[in-house]
Amino acid sequence: MATSWRQHLYHLLLWLIALAFFAPVLWIFLGAFKTAGQLVSWPPRWVTFSPTFDNIREVFARENFWSYFRMSFVLSIGSVLIALVVSFLAAYCFSRYKPTGTNFLMFLLLSVRMVPAPAVVVPVFLMYTAFGWARTFTGMLLFYVMFSIPFSLWILKGFLDGVSLRYDETALVNGGSRLHVIFRVVLPQVKPGLVAAAIFNLIFVWNEFLFNYVLGGEATMIPVLLAVGVNSGGSVDWSFIASLSLIYTLPPIIAIFLFQKYLLVGMTFGTVRGEV
Amino acid sequence: MATTTIARPAATTAPAAATPPAIAFRGIAKGYGGRTVLDGLDLSVAEGDFLVLYGPPAAGKTVLMRILMGLEQPAAGQVFLRGRDVTAVPAAARNIGYIPQSFALYPHYSVEENIAYPLKLAKVPRAEVGPIVRRAAEMLAITPLLNKRPEQLSGGQKQRVAIARGIAKRTGLYVFDDPLAGLDFKLREQLVDDLRTLQRETGATFVYTTSDPLEALTLADTVGVLDGGRVVEDGPPERLYRDPANARTLALLGFPRANLIEGTLTRRGDDLVCEAGPFAFAVAPAPGAAPNTGQVLVGLRPEDVALGDADSAAGPGWLAARARVLLREDLGGEEIVYLDCAGTPLTTVVRHAGHDEADTAGPAIGAAATVAARPTDLLVFAPGDGRRIGRGAASRATA
Repeated sequence: MATSWRQHLYHLLLWLIALAFFAPVLWIFLGAFKTAGQLVSWPPRWVTFSPTFDNIREVFARENFWSYFRMSFVLSIGSVLIALVVSFLAAYCFSRYKPTGTNFLMFLLLSVRMVPAPAVVVPVFLMYTAFGWARTFTGMLLFYVMFSIPFSLWILKGFLDGVSLRYDETALVNGGSRLHVIFRVVLPQVKPGLVAAAIFNLIFVWNEFLFNYVLGGEATMIPVLLAVGVNSGGSVDWSFIASLSLIYTLPPIIAIFLFQKYLLVGMTFGTVRGEV
Repeated sequence: MATTTIARPAATTAPAAATPPAIAFRGIAKGYGGRTVLDGLDLSVAEGDFLVLYGPPAAGKTVLMRILMGLEQPAAGQVFLRGRDVTAVPAAARNIGYIPQSFALYPHYSVEENIAYPLKLAKVPRAEVGPIVRRAAEMLAITPLLNKRPEQLSGGQKQRVAIARGIAKRTGLYVFDDPLAGLDFKLREQLVDDLRTLQRETGATFVYTTSDPLEALTLADTVGVLDGGRVVEDGPPERLYRDPANARTLALLGFPRANLIEGTLTRRGDDLVCEAGPFAFAVAPAPGAAPNTGQVLVGLRPEDVALGDADSAAGPGWLAARARVLLREDLGGEEIVYLDCAGTPLTTVVRHAGHDEADTAGPAIGAAATVAARPTDLLVFAPGDGRRIGRGAASRATA
């Protein structure tokens, strides 16, 4: 049928494009299982090599690797959790009490994330230094909280606007306190929004490098891992880079795979809720 | 044997004279964006009363209920519960059972948990919750639904769950904001019955809003007619129906709508005489009323208009007039007949005596007819505020 081969053609095209974009990622992943020689050999070896786990084992064995890795988790999860609490309460306020200038405030918050990171990294660094927050764990954590709030707030406000005010009122007339309304009546109804906001921001924070490098430094150790590891014996240690990339890319890939539908919600600020 | 009652009124027996009204509204005003909804409304509801607040759609019934619940603040005026000014008291502290117009069932709870919700919030012991929930569910015929989620229910079922949740609350005052709207007829009838029974059993105060005049007349101990931002009149439904003190009450309460004819009141010696459309009759002034002569409104219920063929004669003491049949609407058990009485439109109701075709014949559409009314059924109202100023007098018909 005509539609059928056309459809197949489209699918083939889509696969080709997807593979073209995925090729570098695949290259780095494969590199993690090659010896240093195989990794830089010419012509490149896509499949003709005997996989080795030595590189990964070596990364795991490196001094402090696990504490660095744990720090990544602590920073991402910690900051996103704090951001969720703050943005949920703020979203409730914006959605229910509609303070003057709500729309402008919402825009202002989002604009923080619209500015390219390199444009603000220097002012933020100067601010952090002046406050004495640079190179501290708390400072870094707070930065990522600030980093995660705008998107969370937008997603959650979208969800909260969809929860009828009548639910709040039913709770209030039956003697429920405002906290009861917020946490027992409204919160259970926006769980998909919370999951979407959490996943979306976890991936953002996990992938963020620039601010961590400039602001966090030794305090958060992650850049140190790279700085110390990348050079070995006067040249770039590609095996190390490949293995570390693989290890650090896996958590977001798993998260994306498991929570695909929530990501769509995140990317549309909660306006497209679909099956969530 | 002690039976499980759904509601426990706070005070069951109290001397009538000493108790302040369960609810009192004083000068309540409320508007939205320049549109006045409530305009200095006053209303009292006695303890243990079944008050039906009746009014046309968008009369402000829901707004008033929300002010009573504490969900809205009046622009002016005060709300009293048992004599205490609660205008500034938050909704949570007012302890009123509320059945809102929108169901607002919690999607994350089962039907059972939804009904038990007010009890859970009131920290009622778990052992007592079960029987109360079951009793409420039985009454609303939703027992088989208890384990379902709201999203699995039809609109009518959701409504019944919302009613069950409202009456499960233990308090002495319940507010039903038009809860039967949209339910099918059979269920409505049964629920009206059940609500009456529930109210009698518990002795609690019920406030109920509706825009259905028949619901108002069947349910109420007291009807309050809300129109133009105020309660036009309140009292027992029979009195309001038979003996309304205001033209708005007559016009709004009842179906088909009452006839309101513009007329003129004149003084002839000591007598007041009214001419309205085809009718001219002597007027007995209402007690305390000192009617001004001039323009008036004359009210006449459709069922008080007798209809006959063109050559039929009216009984002694009746006012009669010629008319033409414009339209007949057959409702099955009765027929609404629209007439033109020398330029004055008049509506009447003809009840079908049986299933005999001959009974329903009467004057056909377009045919000439005779209409007749007893002068005592003609009510005379002041044109401005609609206050009743008199009624037709029996003896001095001057037709």
